Amino acid sequence: MNVLPVFFTSVLYNLRYAPLIIQIACVFIFIAVTCTIIAYLSILIGRYKGHRHEKKLAKLHPLIDQLLLENVLMNEALTQENTEEIPLAADAFHQPVFRKRWARQALIDRLIHYRNNVSGIMGEQLRNLYIQLELDKESLKKMKSRKWDKKVQAMAELTSMNMSIADVTILPLTNSRNRELRAAARHAYIKLSKNEPFKFFDLATEPLLLWDQVELFRIISTTEKIAIPNFAQWITYSSNKSIISFCLKLVVHYNQISAVPAVEKLLDTRDHYLRADAINCLGKMQIAEVEDKLIRMYNSQPLNCQIEILKLLGRVSSGKHVDFLRQEFLHSTDFELRKNAAKSLINNQWAAQNLITELVDTATAENKRILKHCMNPLIKF
Amino acid sequence: MSFWQTIGRIYESSVFVYGTVLLFIYAMLAVFSMIAVRAYARKDKLGQGHMLNSSPLAPGITVLAPAYNEGLTIIYNVRSLLTLNYPKYEIIIINDGSTDNSLEQLITEFNLVQVDFAYNVKIKTQPVRKIFKSTNPAYAQLMIIDKVNGKSKADAVNAGINAASYNYFVCTDVDCILDKNTLLELIKPVMQEGTKRVIATGATLRIANSCEFDQGVMTRMRPPRQLLPRFQEVEYIRAFVLGKMGWSLLNCVPNVSGGLGLFDKEVAIRSGGYDHSSFGEDMELMTRMCRYAHDNKINYAIRYIPKTLCWTEAPESVKIFNRQRTRWARGLAQLMFSHFGMFLNPRYGKMGLIIFPYNFFFELLAPLVEVTGIIYYIIMICLGQINWPTAVMLLVFVYTYSVMITTIAILWDQLTFRYYRTWKEVAYLCMTPFMEFFLYHPLIVLFSLRGYYYFLTGKKSTWGNMQRRGFRQNVPGAKTAAV
Repeated sequence: MNVLPVFFTSVLYNLRYAPLIIQIACVFIFIAVTCTIIAYLSILIGRYKGHRHEKKLAKLHPLIDQLLLENVLMNEALTQENTEEIPLAADAFHQPVFRKRWARQALIDRLIHYRNNVSGIMGEQLRNLYIQLELDKESLKKMKSRKWDKKVQAMAELTSMNMSIADVTILPLTNSRNRELRAAARHAYIKLSKNEPFKFFDLATEPLLLWDQVELFRIISTTEKIAIPNFAQWITYSSNKSIISFCLKLVVHYNQISAVPAVEKLLDTRDHYLRADAINCLGKMQIAEVEDKLIRMYNSQPLNCQIEILKLLGRVSSGKHVDFLRQEFLHSTDFELRKNAAKSLINNQWAAQNLITELVDTATAENKRILKHCMNPLIKF
Repeated sequence: MSFWQTIGRIYESSVFVYGTVLLFIYAMLAVFSMIAVRAYARKDKLGQGHMLNSSPLAPGITVLAPAYNEGLTIIYNVRSLLTLNYPKYEIIIINDGSTDNSLEQLITEFNLVQVDFAYNVKIKTQPVRKIFKSTNPAYAQLMIIDKVNGKSKADAVNAGINAASYNYFVCTDVDCILDKNTLLELIKPVMQEGTKRVIATGATLRIANSCEFDQGVMTRMRPPRQLLPRFQEVEYIRAFVLGKMGWSLLNCVPNVSGGLGLFDKEVAIRSGGYDHSSFGEDMELMTRMCRYAHDNKINYAIRYIPKTLCWTEAPESVKIFNRQRTRWARGLAQLMFSHFGMFLNPRYGKMGLIIFPYNFFFELLAPLVEVTGIIYYIIMICLGQINWPTAVMLLVFVYTYSVMITTIAILWDQLTFRYYRTWKEVAYLCMTPFMEFFLYHPLIVLFSLRGYYYFLTGKKSTWGNMQRRGFRQNVPGAKTAAV
C-alpha cells in the first residue's frame, strides 16, 4: 500500500539533489505531460459538448419548425387580413424548453432563417412573433455586451428583424477600430436608419474595405424602400477615397446620370487609381460626351487609365474613334493596350467592319491572333 | 581541460542553446496560433463568408492546375474544380506534355475545340502548342493549355499565369481536391485587409488517402488508415494549423504551399514567376515575391487560414515518400543558397531578420544538428562519458515536448472545426504523435540529408511522378474501389 508514496518521496528526494538541468527537465516534462493530458481532455470535452449541442438542436429544430408552420407559415388567416389585428399564437411557444438560453437563441436563428426566405405578411408575422416572445430583448442585451462578436451578432439579428436601433448607439460603432464591428454597424445603420441611412459616409474616417463594400452593396441594392441619395455629393466632397470609389460603383448600379458631372470632375484628380475608377464608371454608363476629353488626355495617362479609356471607347461604341483604336492596335508596344484596342474595335464593328477585315488580312501574326482572340465568342477576356 | 574536451563542451553548449531556442519558438507558435485560430473562428462564426458568392464586386480569380500524366483522375479532378462556388473565376488546366491520354480524355469529356488565343509571354516557358476552350456553355470557364513538357511544375504554372485573365490566381495541383468554397475563403483575407497589400493567401491541406469522394467532391473526411500517410496528416496539421497560423499572426509566413495558394498575379509576374530550376518552387516564389515587395516598398502581407480547403494524395510507400522529401529538402537548400543575401539583412525586414534565419537554423540545419548529435552521443557512449540520468531525462523531455506540441496542434484543429465524424478517427489521430518521434521523424531526417547531398553534388533529378492511386469514389457498388 505504501509503495507509491515511497516511490514519489524517493523521486522527490533524488530530484532535490539532482543537477539543475535535471531539475529543469523534470519540471518541463511534468508541464508537457500535463498539457498533453489537458489537450486530450479538451478535445474529448469539446467534441462531447459539440455532439450534445448538435443532438439537442436536431431535436429542437423540428419542434420550432412545426410550431412556426402551424402558427405562422400555414396559418390561412394571416394571408388575407390586416396582420396587426390578428393575435399570434405566441402561447404555443411558451414551453419549458424555450426558457433555456440556447433554445431561445436557436429560435431566434430559425426565425431569421424563415424571415430571410419569406416576404410580405409572413415576414411581418415572424417579426411580430420575435417581439411578442421578447426575443428582441435578448438581442438588445447582446448589444450591451463588451464582446464585439456579441454586438455584431445582436446587430445582425436586429437588422434581420428590422428592429430599430438608436442612432446614438450605432453611429459611434460605424467608426470602431474593430473591423467586424465597424462593418456590422455600417450595415445595420444603412438598413435601419429611417432618416439618413448614408450619413456615416460623411463621418467615416476608416477606409471602406473591399469586403465591407460587398456587404454594403448587397444591403443597399436589396433593401426595400431605401432612399437612394445623389452620390455626387460624396464623389465631390468626401476625403475618404474608398468612399468615393464605392460611390462610383453605386452610381453605375443605379445608372445615376445626375452624378455624371461629379464623376467627370474626377478625371482631373491626381490619384490615378481613382481616375481609372471614374473612367470605368463613365464607360459602364456609356457616357459618349467624355470620349474626346479622354482621347486628349490618353497619352499622359498611366497604363491602368489608358486601358480604361480603351475599354470606354468599346463600351460607348460611338464609332467616332475607330481610327484612334486602329492606331493604338497597330502601334502600341504594350500587349494589353493592343488587346484592349482590338476588343474595342470589335465592339465598334458596326462602324469599322471594313477596317477589321483589312486588319485581319494585313496584320502581323501576333496582331491577327489578338483580333481572332477578340472575335471568338468562346473567349470572354 | 584537453582540446577535445573544450570542443565537446562548446558543442554541447551550442546544441543546448539551439534546442532551447527551438523549443521556445514552438511554444511561442503554439500561443500565437491559438490567438490566430480563435480570431479566425470568431470571424468565421459570423457567417458572412458566402455573401460574396452573389456579388458583382467579387474580384476575378484564375485557378491554375498543372497536370502531367494524370489520366487516372483528371476528369474527376476537373469536375471537382468546376463545382467551385465563386461568381467570377476561370479554370486553366495546363497539360504539361503528358504522354498518356489526359488531353484526349479532356477534349472528349468537355467538348473542347482549339482556339486562337492571344497568349502573351510575360514569363518565359516551354512553347505552348494549343489552347482549347469548351463549346459547351456549362464549361465556359474552362480552358486547357497544351504545352511542351517543361520538366517542372513551375514551367507549367508559369504558362498558366501568362494566360490568366484575372488579377489573382490560385495555384493547385490537378490531383488535389478543393473544398467548394475555396475561392471564397482564400480571397477573403485579400478583401479584408486595409493598409497592406495581401500578395498571397494559403490554407490548410490534408491527406485525401482514406477520404471518400463523389465525382471529385469530398463526401467523407477520414484520417488515413495507413501509418505513413497518417504521420503526414499529423505533420500537416502541425505545420499548417500551428506553424503557419502562428507565423501568420506576425506576418511572417515563410511559404504558401504549392498544393493550394492564392497569389497576386502582378507581383508574381514582376517577381519572375515560378523558378523552373527550383525543387521547392512554391517557397522560392514566395521568397522572391517578398523580396520584390521589399525592393519596391510595397507594404505587403501573406495570410493563412486554418480551415482545410484542400485534400491531396500522400505517398503511401517509403520509396515515393523518400523521393518527395528529398526534393523538398533539396529545394530548401537551393533557396537558402540562392537568396543568402537576405539572411539577417535588415533591408528585408521580417523576411530577412526572422523568416530567413528561422528557415536557415531550424529547417535547413536541423537534420544536420540531429545527426551530429546522434554521432556525438554514440562517441560519448563508447568513451563511457555519458551521464545516463541526465541523458535519459533530456530525451524524455524532448519526446514529451514534441508530443505536446503536436497534440496542441490537433487540439486547435479539433476545437475549431471538429473534423472527422467518429471518436475512433480522432483517437487514431491522437495516438500518432506518440510514434512519430521514433518511426517518422528519423525518415524525414534521413531524406533531408539525402536532399542536401543531391544539392551539393548536383545530381540530376526530375519533377517526380507521384504514381497516383486515385481517390475512393463514393459510388454505389464500388464504395471502396480506387478509380
